[in-house]
Amino acid sequence: MKLLDRYNRVTLVTTIIVMVITGIIYYQTISWILTNQIDKDLVVEEHEVFDYVKLNHHLPQVFDSNDQQISFSPAVPGAVTRKFINTNYYNTKEKGNESGRGIISSVMVNGKCYRILVVESKVETEDLIQIIFGITAGVILLLLIVLLITNRLILTRLWQPFYTIMKELRLFNVTDTTDPQKVNTNIDEFEELTLAVVSMASRVKNDYKDLKTFTENASHELLTPIAVINSKLDTLIQTENFSERQSKLLNDLYMAVNKLNRLNQSLLLLVKIENRLNDEKELINLRALLEELLTQFEEIFQDKQLKLVCTINDASIYANRYLAEILLNNLLSNAIRHNYRGGEINIVLTAESLSIGNTGEGDALHEEKIFNRFHKSSGSEGSGLGLTISRQICENFGFLFNYRFQKPYHTFVVQFNAGL
Amino acid sequence: MKILIVEDEQGLRESIEEYFTEAGNICETVSDYKAAIEKVNLYRYDCILLDITLPGGSGMDILKSLKEHNHQDGVLIISAKNSLDDRLDGLNLGADDYLVKPFYLSELKARVTAIIRRKSYNGSNQLTFNEITIDLLGKEVRIGKQQVKFTRKEYALLLYFIANKGKVVSKNAIAEHMWGDSIDIADNFDFIYSHIKNIRKKLVEAGCRDYIQAAYGMGYKFTDS
Repeated sequence: MKLLDRYNRVTLVTTIIVMVITGIIYYQTISWILTNQIDKDLVVEEHEVFDYVKLNHHLPQVFDSNDQQISFSPAVPGAVTRKFINTNYYNTKEKGNESGRGIISSVMVNGKCYRILVVESKVETEDLIQIIFGITAGVILLLLIVLLITNRLILTRLWQPFYTIMKELRLFNVTDTTDPQKVNTNIDEFEELTLAVVSMASRVKNDYKDLKTFTENASHELLTPIAVINSKLDTLIQTENFSERQSKLLNDLYMAVNKLNRLNQSLLLLVKIENRLNDEKELINLRALLEELLTQFEEIFQDKQLKLVCTINDASIYANRYLAEILLNNLLSNAIRHNYRGGEINIVLTAESLSIGNTGEGDALHEEKIFNRFHKSSGSEGSGLGLTISRQICENFGFLFNYRFQKPYHTFVVQFNAGL
Repeated sequence: MKILIVEDEQGLRESIEEYFTEAGNICETVSDYKAAIEKVNLYRYDCILLDITLPGGSGMDILKSLKEHNHQDGVLIISAKNSLDDRLDGLNLGADDYLVKPFYLSELKARVTAIIRRKSYNGSNQLTFNEITIDLLGKEVRIGKQQVKFTRKEYALLLYFIANKGKVVSKNAIAEHMWGDSIDIADNFDFIYSHIKNIRKKLVEAGCRDYIQAAYGMGYKFTDS
């Protein structure tokens, strides 16, 4: 729920409750005052009757006056108590009952006791109350509408800095070189928020930078020992007379060092791409590059008896040559590595995109996971960084990098002009 | 040939020295900037293997000093810095080649041999190993008078073997030399075997001795002994 809606709902409900309560009080007060007024009229009438009886010693003649009816009836002395009642008033002109207010009293005329009933119509009073009530309701409605509109206008404007900050946050990327902009506002809370966001962003970036520097340094420091191991192995195999078992062990060592080295190089490369250290771009003839690589891989295709299906058109990209080579190399390597003997590799290069698909065992890969560092399919001999690097390179170039699956083909697609 | 090894890491320095020390080669080693600059100012070498990060200074400065004095020594940079910039800087300053750590000693040897060959065989461009004669410009191989046709990869592999003659060259080293980084996708190196079989066959058919020996399944050795 939006803050504005929430806010509106709360103000609306409280306003209505308060208004209803005031309305009730208002209604009660007005009707009490008006009933009081009528009661006074009735008392005046009663006194007129008393005065008349005192003067003339008989009951006055009963007649209909404006909205007032008087009636007398004989009564037992002492049985009548004086009180006000709500009763019906029979309007002779309109031939209908209206609500009325009456007084019951008694008078002694020549030793005989009479009950007096004076009734007055309350129609006018009620009309008055209705008018007052209507006006009040109108005012309430007007007030609510005005409240809603001003809330909307003011709040939207007030919250503008908030939305700007949100936008900055959404665009935030730790690998970006630019910091989020400080949002200009004279509202303290937003001022604090934007300051917090800016400082948080720079802190996160610093941490990330530290981490990257650490990775880079660590990988760098590893290079020398790996180089020493490698050179010692090279020296070791020059000594003669190895048993079969020993040479098997040495082979395994070679493989392991090789793998370690690759892993290390991949980490260094990843840091470098993220640091955008390879920014020298040039126009690359992708077709030539791809064909060159395919020749390079020729023996491996043959060795694994892979069938190559190529549709290669002319395509050029403006990018870093070194990274472009790595990207193609990674995609082709994956297509070979995750293929089965006698499988197929489909390569389609157009001016807009490059797709490399391979037959492979298993179902669709988990698209979110495959780009994670060190995510490997079971039995993969790779470093687990190939796709991460490929995606980083694509991001660096502004390309779109996607995975598609259509059994049994796993296909990776690079779209060159995704940003346009 | 006379080689200077400038490398601060003892283990690596010793391995390189051992690998390069053979009949007809003189290897000298230094481990820091000061000793290195003294050596290169006093003596001339066929090739200098130069590490960039050295105690006391940068290998780049040694390279600069060499070029300022117009010394013609071949220079191969061996560095842990694999950034393109460093590579270009080194080559722009006049280094002949650039090799990134870690490397196979056989690869280092092949590169050094290529540098020395370029420097010393001015004009002739002929490489001879017993009855094998290779015209480096025309990329032609002859056994005696008979020309043998090799594919591009076979030719490269033969050169690699000759540069590392008498040494066991591991299959990994061969694979990386021939196919570069992409090679890690191959689960086995059977396809190397077929290349080597072809080279062998072509050489022997042309009347050449079979110099290639398999070494315990780890690699191959090109030797006439």
